[in-house]
Amino acid sequence: MHPLLASRARLGTYLLGWVPIALMLTGLARSLGWSWREGAALALPLCLLAALLYLSAWFLCRALPLGRSVEGLSTHAMAWGTAALLMGGLWSGLAWLLARMLAFLPGLDALPQRVGAGLPVLTGLGILLYLAAVAFSYLLLALDRALVAERKGAELQLLAQESELKALRAQLNPHFLFNSLNSLSALTAVDPARAREMCVLLADFLRRSLGLGERRLVPLREELDLARAYLAIEQIRFGTRLQVDWQIDPAAEPALLPTLLLQPLVENAIKHGIAALPEGGTLCVAAEVLEGHVLLRVENPRDEDAPCPQGLGLGLNQVRQRLLGRFGSRARFEALATETRHRITLVFPLEVEP
Amino acid sequence: MKALIIDDEDLARAVVREHLLAHPDVEVAAECANGFEALKAAALHQPDLIFLDIQMPKLDGFEVLELLEAEGKRPAVVFVTAYDQHALRAFEAHAVDYLLKPFSKERFDAALDKARALQAARPVVAPTAAAELASTARQGKPLERIVVKDGPKVTVVHLDRLDWVQAQDDYVLLRTEAKNLLKQQTLASLETQLDPNRFIRIHRSYLLNLDRLVRVEQDSKEHRDAILRDGTRLPVSRAGYQRLRELWEGA
Repeated sequence: MHPLLASRARLGTYLLGWVPIALMLTGLARSLGWSWREGAALALPLCLLAALLYLSAWFLCRALPLGRSVEGLSTHAMAWGTAALLMGGLWSGLAWLLARMLAFLPGLDALPQRVGAGLPVLTGLGILLYLAAVAFSYLLLALDRALVAERKGAELQLLAQESELKALRAQLNPHFLFNSLNSLSALTAVDPARAREMCVLLADFLRRSLGLGERRLVPLREELDLARAYLAIEQIRFGTRLQVDWQIDPAAEPALLPTLLLQPLVENAIKHGIAALPEGGTLCVAAEVLEGHVLLRVENPRDEDAPCPQGLGLGLNQVRQRLLGRFGSRARFEALATETRHRITLVFPLEVEP
Repeated sequence: MKALIIDDEDLARAVVREHLLAHPDVEVAAECANGFEALKAAALHQPDLIFLDIQMPKLDGFEVLELLEAEGKRPAVVFVTAYDQHALRAFEAHAVDYLLKPFSKERFDAALDKARALQAARPVVAPTAAAELASTARQGKPLERIVVKDGPKVTVVHLDRLDWVQAQDDYVLLRTEAKNLLKQQTLASLETQLDPNRFIRIHRSYLLNLDRLVRVEQDSKEHRDAILRDGTRLPVSRAGYQRLRELWEGA
């Protein structure tokens, strides 16, 4: 759809833009010895027709986008030239037709001869005007592109902010907090020393997760520390039902990754894995370095009676998006669910703080 | 009063036990770490009161309550949970109390008082059916699985393993993994709990998992059959066919 045809206001403005051209044309005719009446009678309808006809330049321009280099410009120029010649011919042809039709009106009987004499000038004018229309169309296209790019950029930024915000909100999982406080409430009576330990762990976890939320990228080491604090609390809550197996290659620890990427994986492993099993099980967090990439893996046993998860949940999807948003095709997100186990693997390039 | 404490976390059970020390009229008959243990303990001890967590492995609190109900047991119930409080506020209207973790001694005592009063009034006030409570707590979200008591055995049917449901008077026959299970519930009440885009009432007596449908065949002018993936034929009524068409056209 032509942008000028998209709204009446735009089309109106465009047509108004042709009025000075029509006036100039009339003035030119006057200087060639035409009467005002003859000049205006021809120029006004001719310009109206040309205005509509020359809208076609936009389609030509859209089909022949301007590149950054000069390459291909000669073929473009050929196309513009051919179209301009055609349109110039059409324009003077229209002028000739109009003159024949207007000749029936009183005082305009000399018009066909005048047009016949002025045909070369008219054709030249038509060609020039068409080339102007081409330039104008490229301007329109560039403007459109800029607008679209701006909107897309704004949308992307909004999306990124939103998912980041959601990730943070999910972070302070109310269930986890209330259940932890309840464990704490139990411990105060039966084991005050352990209650104090849990207070410290909870404070440590909260402080770390609040601090992490303000940064975009963190070393894996900090994400692991947060997960350790979290799992230590969950181990008090779940007792012997939760065992954790850490397999961390120290070489992976300085690797930078988007903030709070590991935490949702660990929470997911607790919620859908350990918490759903009466006997609990062992949660495994592993990180290794392989050919310049970090392999970060969270694995947990799952209830074999529950159906295999269809697709990723909201939380895992966000992790995936944020990982790919940061590293693009250099990163990979893998989810594997078998009857009895669930495994998420993140693979991303090993980049460290300068 | 005999009570059961049902929670999968040791420490959570310990809090309830500790608070009960101040109430010598309540005897803790058993502590249960999951729903299956709870059902066994309930059969053994016939409790008057249960403290029930909602999120537990295998069977959740509502499912435990539903299965107890199916056996004709109606102990007073106090839910003890970190569950969404907005969902639980509606429980007050259902003559059930709930404690949000963590809770104070005062709040615990108040819940216990309410349970005692309810127990005394038992013949007058019928407690709300567990299924209804569960659907209130789900806040309109459809069911994910169905629990069925089959003699002494409890089966949990996940809905993507449920092929179709047939009405049989006050029972429904659930067809899952080439087995038939009977559950005491009407088809109409089950239908309201399921996702209407997933389970379609194709006939007065049949609910079909849409995922199992291959095609609908017209036998005669007035008679249509649904052909399922395993070759089963189920009758489709005119209204049922209309519902299927609406779903297809909407998709």
